[in-house]
Amino acid sequence: MTKKLRIYRAFLSAGMQEVSTYRVNWIFYMAGNVMACFVSYFIWKAVFLSGNNNSLNGFTMSQMIVYIFLMFLTSTMTSSGGTYDIGEEIRDGTIAMRMIKPISYNATFLFQELGNKIMTICLLIIPMVIGVEAVRYNFTGEVQFEITNFLIYVVSCVFAYLINFFFNISFGFIAFVIKYLWGANMMKNCIVGFLSGTVIPLSFLPSGLEKICLLLPFASLNYTPVMIYLGIYKGSTLLYYLGLQLFWVLVLWGLSKLIWKISTKHLTVQGG
Amino acid sequence: MIKVENLRKEFKKTVKEPGLAGSFKSLFHPKSERVVAVNDISFHVPKGEILGFIGPNGAGKSTVIKMLTGILTPTSGTCTINGKNPTENRKSYVKEIGVVFGQRTQLWWDLPLRETYGVLKEMYEVPDDSYKERMSFLNEVLELEAFITSPVRTLSLGQRMRADIAASLLHSPKVLFLDEPTIGLDVVVKDNIRKAIAQINEREQTTVILTTHDLADIELLADRIVMIDKGSNVFDGTISELKSRYGRIRELHLETNTKNAEKALGYREHFHFSDDDLKVEQEGSSVKVRFNSDTVSVSDMLAYTLKMVNVKDISVKDADIEEIIRRLYRQGV
Amino acid sequence: MKTLKRISRMHRIFIVQELKRMMEYKGDFIVGIIGFLFAQANNMLFLWLIFRQIPNLAGWSIKEILFIYGFSLIPKGIDHLFFDNLWAVGHFLVQKGDFDKYLTRPVNTLFHVMVEKLQIDALGELLVGIAMVCITLPSLTVEWSVQKILLAVLVIPFATLIYTGIKTITAAIAFWTKKSGNITYMFYMVNEFSKYPVKIYNSFVRNIITYIIPFAFTAYYPAEYILKGENPLFNIGVCVLISIVMMTLGIIVWNKGIRAYESAGS
Repeated sequence: MTKKLRIYRAFLSAGMQEVSTYRVNWIFYMAGNVMACFVSYFIWKAVFLSGNNNSLNGFTMSQMIVYIFLMFLTSTMTSSGGTYDIGEEIRDGTIAMRMIKPISYNATFLFQELGNKIMTICLLIIPMVIGVEAVRYNFTGEVQFEITNFLIYVVSCVFAYLINFFFNISFGFIAFVIKYLWGANMMKNCIVGFLSGTVIPLSFLPSGLEKICLLLPFASLNYTPVMIYLGIYKGSTLLYYLGLQLFWVLVLWGLSKLIWKISTKHLTVQGG
Repeated sequence: MIKVENLRKEFKKTVKEPGLAGSFKSLFHPKSERVVAVNDISFHVPKGEILGFIGPNGAGKSTVIKMLTGILTPTSGTCTINGKNPTENRKSYVKEIGVVFGQRTQLWWDLPLRETYGVLKEMYEVPDDSYKERMSFLNEVLELEAFITSPVRTLSLGQRMRADIAASLLHSPKVLFLDEPTIGLDVVVKDNIRKAIAQINEREQTTVILTTHDLADIELLADRIVMIDKGSNVFDGTISELKSRYGRIRELHLETNTKNAEKALGYREHFHFSDDDLKVEQEGSSVKVRFNSDTVSVSDMLAYTLKMVNVKDISVKDADIEEIIRRLYRQGV
Repeated sequence: MKTLKRISRMHRIFIVQELKRMMEYKGDFIVGIIGFLFAQANNMLFLWLIFRQIPNLAGWSIKEILFIYGFSLIPKGIDHLFFDNLWAVGHFLVQKGDFDKYLTRPVNTLFHVMVEKLQIDALGELLVGIAMVCITLPSLTVEWSVQKILLAVLVIPFATLIYTGIKTITAAIAFWTKKSGNITYMFYMVNEFSKYPVKIYNSFVRNIITYIIPFAFTAYYPAEYILKGENPLFNIGVCVLISIVMMTLGIIVWNKGIRAYESAGS
C-alpha cells in the first residue's frame, strides 16, 4: 500500500514540475484566458447598460461580473485533459502497453493531473477570490465572502473535477471511431462549454431547455459550484445539487470502467 | 573544400532544483548558466574525402554538425565551403550541401515518396532534364524503384534511410553530411547503405562528413578521422595513424581445454598489467585476450602463454578500431 | 520579379501537396471543419441569447453586431487557412528541434514554414464569416459607392496581414524560449476584443487593441467604415499602414530569432 502511494506521489510531483518547467508558457495561457474573461466582462457591462432592467434572468450586474470570473476559476480547476492523452495512445497503439503495467492507468493519470492542478490552484485561487470579493464589495459596499459557501464550493469543485475526469477519459475512446482527435475534442469542448454554463448562465436559456440542462452532468461541472459560491443554491436546493453531482460522479466512474472493459476486449480480439 | 576554424558554441541552460519545493522555487526564480558545447574546433576536408567525425555522447558532435549545416549560428569561429559561409548567406550555402539526419526524416510523411522529390526539385531549382538523369542515377545506386510510389509513413526504416539519402543528393551537392545513417538498421541493410555511400563518393567525388556510433561505418568508409571530446579536437588523422598512436592493442585467440584459463595464465600477476591494458574473455574452450603490446611484447606473451596452458590453436591479430576508441572514450585523452 | 515568381510557384506546389494529403484523410478534414462550425455556433447562440434581453448593444443592432462578427472571421479565416503552420513553430517545431529541416533548405525559412501546411479546418470559420456578411448586409441600410466596395475588398488582405504579422512575432519568440504557443494563444484571445464595437471597452483596452496589439483593425474599424462610411482615412488607411508595420516587425524578429535558435539534443 505504501509502495503504491509512493508511486502516485511520484506522479503528483511530476505533474507539479510540468507547470514549473513551462512556467512562462503557463502564465501566458492563463493570461489569455483572463483576457477572454475581460471580453465577456465588457460585453455584459454593455448589455446591462443597454437594457432597462437591473437584473437579467436573476443576475444583477455585479453577480454577472462575479459569475464570469468565478466561471473561469472553476473551469480551470475542474478541467481535465484525459481525452487527448487516451486518444493519442489509442491512435499510436501504446494503449496496449497499459494492460501489462501493474498500476492503474487512470490513477497515475489522475495523480499527475492533480499535481498540475495543485500548482494552478495555489497560484490562482487566492488572487481570483480576492478579486471577485473586491468586485462584490465595490458594488454592494459590504463584504460578502462566506466561508461556509466557499468550503462547500471547494467540495463541489472536487466532485466536478471527478465528473470531468471520468467523462474525458470515456470520451477519449472515441479515437477508435474518429481519427482526428483535435476536431472531435473541439466539438466536445463547444458542447460541454455551452451546457455547463461557461458561455452564458443556464438561466438565460428558454426555461424548458434550462431544466434539461440542469439535470445533465455538464451543469454539475461548472454551473453548480459557481451557484454555490454565489449563495444562489441554498438549503435543500444545495443538498439536491450536491447529491446530483455525486450521482454523476458514480455514473461516469462506472461508464469509464465499462468502456475500458469493452475496449480491452476489442483490443484483444484485434490483437492490439 | 571545407574549412572549419576555431568554431565555438555556447548555450544557455536552465538549472532545475530537485523536489517539490524546487519546482515552486524555479517557478519564480529560474536559474540559468552558460554551457560551452563546442570549445575550439578546427579542421579541413579536401574534395572527395570521406571524413569520419566521431566522439562519445555529449562531446559536441551534433552541435558541430548543426553549425556546419547552417542550423546553428556559431558563437565565434567560421566554417566555409568553397568560400561560402552559412551565417552570411545561408540559402546559397545550403545549396552546396546535402544533409541526412538518421533519426529524423526530411520526407513528407503522408505523401508518396515521389512527391517529396518533386517538391525538392522545385526547392533546389533542379532543371527537368538533370532531374531525370539524377533520379535514374539515384535509383540505380539506392534502388528506390520498389517503393517510390508508397507513402513515406509505410516505408521500412532501411527504405526510409535510402529515400532520405536520395533526397539529400537530388541537387548534386558538393558535400554530404550523414548523421548516424545506419542507426537501427540490420546488418544487410547497413551493408547496402555503406556500399551506396562509397559508390556515390567514388562516382561523383562528393565530399562526405559522417558521424556515427557504429565504428564499422568508419572503418569501412572513412579516409580520415576527426575525433572530438568535451568540445575540443582530440585526434585528426587516418585510421592507421590512430592505431599506431593510441595503444598497440593486440588480440590473442587461443583454444585450450583449461577450464579457468585466466586464473591458470595469471598474466596480470606475472606481467603487472594495469586494468586497461588487459582483458581476458573465455567462452567454452576459446579464450580471447586483449593486451597492450607496448607493455608486453607479442613474443613474450606467446611464449608465456604456451608455457602456462595446453594450447590447441593460437593466433594473434590487430585489435579493431572499436577497441581503441572504446579505450579512448573511457579514459578521455 | 524573378523571386516573386519563384515564391508563388513554390506556394502553389505546397498547396497542391496539401490537397493531395487531404485526399488521404478526408474524414479528418470534415471533422475539423465541423469542429469550427460548432465553435462559431456557440458564439452565435451567445449573441442570440443576449439580444433576447436587450434591443441593442451600445447603440448597435444585432444585425450590425453580426456583420462585424462575420467580417472579423474573414481575415482570421484566411490567415488560418494559409499560414496556420506558424502555430506549430511555438508549440513543438522549435522545442523538438524539428525546425532544423527548414534551415537546411535554400528557401526563406519564414516563407517555408508559413506555406507548408494548409489548415482546411479554417474553412469552417471562413464560410461562417462569409455567410454572416452576406446574410446581414441586405437588411442593413448601407450607402454603397465604388470607392467603398473597392476599399472593403482591398482591406481584407491587409487585415489578414495583421494576424500573420502578430503570429510571426509571437511564434519567433520560441527561438529564445523554446515554446511560445501560449503567447500566440494569449494574443489570439486579445483578438476576441475586436469582434465587438470598441465603444463598449474602457479607454485602456481600446488603446491597446488599436495601437499596441492592433486587432481592432482586423474587424471593427473596417466594418465601421463599411456600415457608417465614417473616417476612411483612419479606418482603412491606418489598417493598411499598421499591417505593413506588423509584418515588417515580424520579419525582423524572425530573422533575429533564427540566429538564436538552439535546436534540440546535444
